[in-house]
Amino acid sequence: MTRLLQISCGLTLVGLALMVWSMLVPTPMPVILAMSVGQLLGTLAFGMFGYVVLVDQLRKQRAKGAARAARELAKAASDEASPRAPS
Amino acid sequence: MFSDPFLVFALGCAALSVGLLIGYLIVRPKLSRATKLLLLFGIGVLPIGTAANGNVAGYHATKTRTFCSSCHVMTPFGDDASSPGSTSLAARHGRNEAFGDENCYTCHADYGMFGTIATKLGGMRHVYEYALHFHQLTVDEALPRIHIRHPFPNATCMRCHSTEVPGWQRVGDHRSLLDQLRAGTVSCASEGCHGPAHPFARVAHIRAEQAAEASASREATSP
Repeated sequence: MTRLLQISCGLTLVGLALMVWSMLVPTPMPVILAMSVGQLLGTLAFGMFGYVVLVDQLRKQRAKGAARAARELAKAASDEASPRAPS
Repeated sequence: MFSDPFLVFALGCAALSVGLLIGYLIVRPKLSRATKLLLLFGIGVLPIGTAANGNVAGYHATKTRTFCSSCHVMTPFGDDASSPGSTSLAARHGRNEAFGDENCYTCHADYGMFGTIATKLGGMRHVYEYALHFHQLTVDEALPRIHIRHPFPNATCMRCHSTEVPGWQRVGDHRSLLDQLRAGTVSCASEGCHGPAHPFARVAHIRAEQAAEASASREATSP
């Protein structure tokens, strides 16, 4: 996941470089590249970032759910081990 | 250059984003909530700000004469339009404050609701033509081949010259051709009226005529 984020950062930097180039040198080729390749790279990078965040969030939720299930199992086991005293 | 607020905002967003991303790549922190928030700005919010404002700044830049004449075959047109001594129609309009530095776009942009989109699509065709046909040519080779794709519409002239004012109607040719001019069947930019708008159009025309005459005479003299 860290690798994916690094690639995403790299793609964003390349996209930004194209966009800044088009603003500093406003001639047809830089403008066309910025508005096509630059924005495509930026969108791809943002999509990768979104994917990483989503996967991380799902993993955390799964881990939280597993921890809760383990706690409930442990509690049930301890309840079984110490039966209630007869009234 | 930096008088355009969109450009300044776009460059500012880009600089902040680059700072955040390089910081992340150097430090490589754990993927905590703070890191995600930082990357949301570095990869999402700030680049979107750069792209959005950059598009507007780019759109403004594409309307300027320097942009139009940045392809080498267009430089004579740009030079003529910005020349203080030129008496061509394009140069006279370029000296008008209402046209100024955007005189190419002001005259060649399509009018109407989707005019901007149609103009930009036409611009893509220019890029295609330049990349495939004109890029390798010298200016002298290219000039006779450069021509306007459709006849220049009188509606473009009539955005400013309404054909209604008495001063305009006092001109005999205007009065006699009023219906044709309004219908667009006689061009304002015709040779002998107000055209050609660029001197090279005339040169191209004459050169083409001379070439045709020369080839015709060669054919006539050959056995």
